[in-house]
Amino acid sequence: MMLRSFATAAFLLIAAPVAVASPAAAAPDAVAFVSDLGGRAIQVLGPGVPAEQRLRRFRELFRDDFDVPGIGQFVLGRHWRATTPEERQEFLRLFQEYVVQAYSTRLGEYGGQPFRVTGSRPNADEIVVTSEIIRQNGSRIAVDWYLIDRGGQLKITDVYVGGISMKVTERDEFGAVIQRNGGKIDALLVQLRRKLAAN
Amino acid sequence: MSARPSMLAWPGRYLAVGLGLAIIGWVAPQPAAAQSAGSAPPPMVEQPGTQDNFNDPLEDANRAVFDFNQSVDRIVLVPVAKTYRTVLPGPIRDSVHDFLRNLNEPIVFANDVLQARPDLAVNTVGRFVVNSTLGVAGLFDVATHVNLPYHSNDLGVTFAVWGIGEGPYLILPILGPSNVRDLAGQIGDSFADPGNIIASQNHVVWASFVRAGTAGIDARARNIETLADIEKTSLDYYATIRSLYRQRRAAQIRHEHTNLPNVSPLGGDSNGAPPISYTVDPASRPGEAPKR
Repeated sequence: MMLRSFATAAFLLIAAPVAVASPAAAAPDAVAFVSDLGGRAIQVLGPGVPAEQRLRRFRELFRDDFDVPGIGQFVLGRHWRATTPEERQEFLRLFQEYVVQAYSTRLGEYGGQPFRVTGSRPNADEIVVTSEIIRQNGSRIAVDWYLIDRGGQLKITDVYVGGISMKVTERDEFGAVIQRNGGKIDALLVQLRRKLAAN
Repeated sequence: MSARPSMLAWPGRYLAVGLGLAIIGWVAPQPAAAQSAGSAPPPMVEQPGTQDNFNDPLEDANRAVFDFNQSVDRIVLVPVAKTYRTVLPGPIRDSVHDFLRNLNEPIVFANDVLQARPDLAVNTVGRFVVNSTLGVAGLFDVATHVNLPYHSNDLGVTFAVWGIGEGPYLILPILGPSNVRDLAGQIGDSFADPGNIIASQNHVVWASFVRAGTAGIDARARNIETLADIEKTSLDYYATIRSLYRQRRAAQIRHEHTNLPNVSPLGGDSNGAPPISYTVDPASRPGEAPKR
């Protein structure tokens, strides 16, 4: 496909020179993983990528490389236990799409900007890969990626952009919605559906 | 730019009332915190978003003020910020931003010292000297280019570093998200601010208001798109802003990179600033372990 190979070439051109990982003693795999993924994400968010394509690529990226069930469980917190398997499945489906839509918009301002991995460190059973985005005015945004090994495959469990955790933000927001609706997860599902339909 | 405190700082009687309220509110939650901590020392930095604990006992009142602020934001602040951005060219706006930030460096320095951070304090002095001279009275942030990056600091952070609890989350009219500790800090900072002191001694208090207003417009103009995107994509904008504010403050208290969109419609100080690169010992980061 023309478009696809063009996108790949563009990614290589943009990401390759800047995604040079500083050799980390621990977890070279994780560093390479984030270099590649971060570069792809930044490219997908960049100007000139049609909205429809951006959404589709972001969806693939989130589905393939993020620990969606783990994140979903964290986000529901104690409410997770009170849900039926069907509700969980429905929640994860809606949550995945919500995250794709919300974050492809919210992170849009970082699109196409130089990105580089700056290091890594272990954190309990996870690996943290630190990176930064260099903005046009020369300022740097720290982006920390939390990764876990899921059956030999690295999955992202959280991303901190400038000290703000993606999953903590969503837990706080969803928790508030559930709390304000008498502790019912139904209300959250309804609101998620409505939000997705509106976009 | 903690120019917003200066709006609160004057006249003195409001300040006294505010400070009184602040101290009552901020001391009051302490016994509860101490109880729950048991034998363990209370954590220096509280984790935002503990399950269903949003530290927001005044939520109904806060939401009402938040709605009011949203109206003011739509009707007044955003149009003014957009006009400001249209009328003034980028380099001039940058100079306004840099000038206001330079004016605030003495307060940053004082808090660096109060937190026993000589590394930060030396950095701030260096920045102030370089920017006030080579940077033409602070109009240009030359210091950043000679490896003296900006960092924010304020009395709210100092209180947190001293182990004082945050107190209930607050939405202040016009000024936006805060908490009792940060409000008390803002009032304290504005009292101590040399610019405000000089203005009031010379009976030109209006100058402090102009400064605060300009800082507000500057901050809002830098965040028009960011905040609009967050609002558009949130299920509950109020709850998202509350989470972002608390996480951002926690990161500032840890003196991490804090180049975040300022969630306060008026105010803030770290927009577009290069992050400070002082290393933090992972072991001394209270947020790290319990958060996962």
